[in-house]
Amino acid sequence: MKFIKNHLMFIFPLMAILLGVEFYLVFDRTTDSYEKGLKEGYTMLVVSKKPMELSAFKVLNKHVSTSEKIKRENIVSEIAKGVSESSKKEILTALPYFYSVGLDSYMHTSGLEQIKTDLEVDANIKKVETFGSSHSSAYRLFSFIKFTLKLFIVFMAVVSLFLIIKQMEIWKYAHRQRMQVMEIFGAPLMLRSGVLFKVAIADAFIATILTSAVFLYVKFQWAANSGIDIMMRNQEELFKLSDMGILLGSALLIVIIAVYSVVFTSKGVQE
Amino acid sequence: MSNVINASHLTLAYGNGTKEIIKDANFSIKKGEFVFITGPSGSGKSTLLKALYGQIRPSEGNLVVGGLDLASARQSKLQELRTHMGIMFQDYKLVNEWTVAKNVVLPLMIAGYSVDVQNTQAHRLLKHVKLAEHADKFPFELSGGEQQRVGVARALAKNPVVILADEPTGNLDDYSSNVIWDLMENACQQLETTVLVVTHKIPTIFSLPYRHLIIESKGVYEVH
Repeated sequence: MKFIKNHLMFIFPLMAILLGVEFYLVFDRTTDSYEKGLKEGYTMLVVSKKPMELSAFKVLNKHVSTSEKIKRENIVSEIAKGVSESSKKEILTALPYFYSVGLDSYMHTSGLEQIKTDLEVDANIKKVETFGSSHSSAYRLFSFIKFTLKLFIVFMAVVSLFLIIKQMEIWKYAHRQRMQVMEIFGAPLMLRSGVLFKVAIADAFIATILTSAVFLYVKFQWAANSGIDIMMRNQEELFKLSDMGILLGSALLIVIIAVYSVVFTSKGVQE
Repeated sequence: MSNVINASHLTLAYGNGTKEIIKDANFSIKKGEFVFITGPSGSGKSTLLKALYGQIRPSEGNLVVGGLDLASARQSKLQELRTHMGIMFQDYKLVNEWTVAKNVVLPLMIAGYSVDVQNTQAHRLLKHVKLAEHADKFPFELSGGEQQRVGVARALAKNPVVILADEPTGNLDDYSSNVIWDLMENACQQLETTVLVVTHKIPTIFSLPYRHLIIESKGVYEVH
């Protein structure tokens, strides 16, 4: 019972860190696709006196990735309902050219303003509408959520790391007699702390398997039947096989740091 | 015969040199000698022993053991030196979660001997200290005398150059003490191992010629 308790006291904080790492990975992947959606969904409106090609926009600012001409006929039919055909033609002739311009990445308001300034340098361009305010509020909310979650994950990781080191100290105390005797007889550090490494590495594997199992369950059981749209849409992003490698690597790194920090800070032979 | 241990103007102190235990001691011990170190409680007998296996560094002077100057030796060299020593304690310092056999072969395990060699040696050593039938028991299942015999077997496991013993019979009755002294005499006589024993009282029944060092008023003196 004590043996199991000792291991769980190590595995749980390690799992907390691994869950944090996996949350980070999942969040990064899903927000990447969300960010992609925002980026793809966003366009600014450019009004020009003469027709312009995409290359012309790109010369003005490298972040411009697409440009789509808005059919002037559609605009005229919208604004000139009930007007005679000849008048429509006159309106069409007088009407400037409208472009829906897409960007290569998700931009902050200042970035959008810079693009606007760059585009307006061209004398052909009469007006650039960035729709900055709605874009900015969505971006700020998005950034805030991202920052908060990352902060929480870092905080959780630090607290868990302290718990792990504390547990390592308990282990060290439990193995103190053997480690001291081995030291007296000249065992090098690695040999006398070998048992700590063995136990910690075994627990790192267990924590990785348990964390992976949690996310596999979430991916294949819970998310599929959750009825939550964003979960169902991003089911593939919830856990990937490569995540297991990342989790195991993280777990091993954490336990090796923890064991070293405990072993190297311990005093020599005690009487 | 060459000196295994050589101390010149040796000072040992705790607390960054503020509390001197031994001051300006000079002595040397040759290969194969049996030496008793006595002195009143708190005189520094155990401190001297600790210095000999490198747990305490000399504050001043030189202490050379097996050709290694312990004042300046690197930690790895001290560890290596300890693998050539057999060390015994009053409280035995056996590992309770290991079997008797595993305790005995600890020095061989540290030196990287194969499991086969370890098993063979464990059997031989335990037979030597008359504990062969207890090989698979744990130390806490043995009496104090038996535990110290395990300590002797462990100390002899790697044919050490020096055996350092700190009050090895301090917790034992007369019969058990005599068994331990016999085993240590044999080691000294047959293997030409240098033996240093810190003790309160030199045993009355002791057949080997021996030297007697006494620690008094921070000095180490030869008793003739």
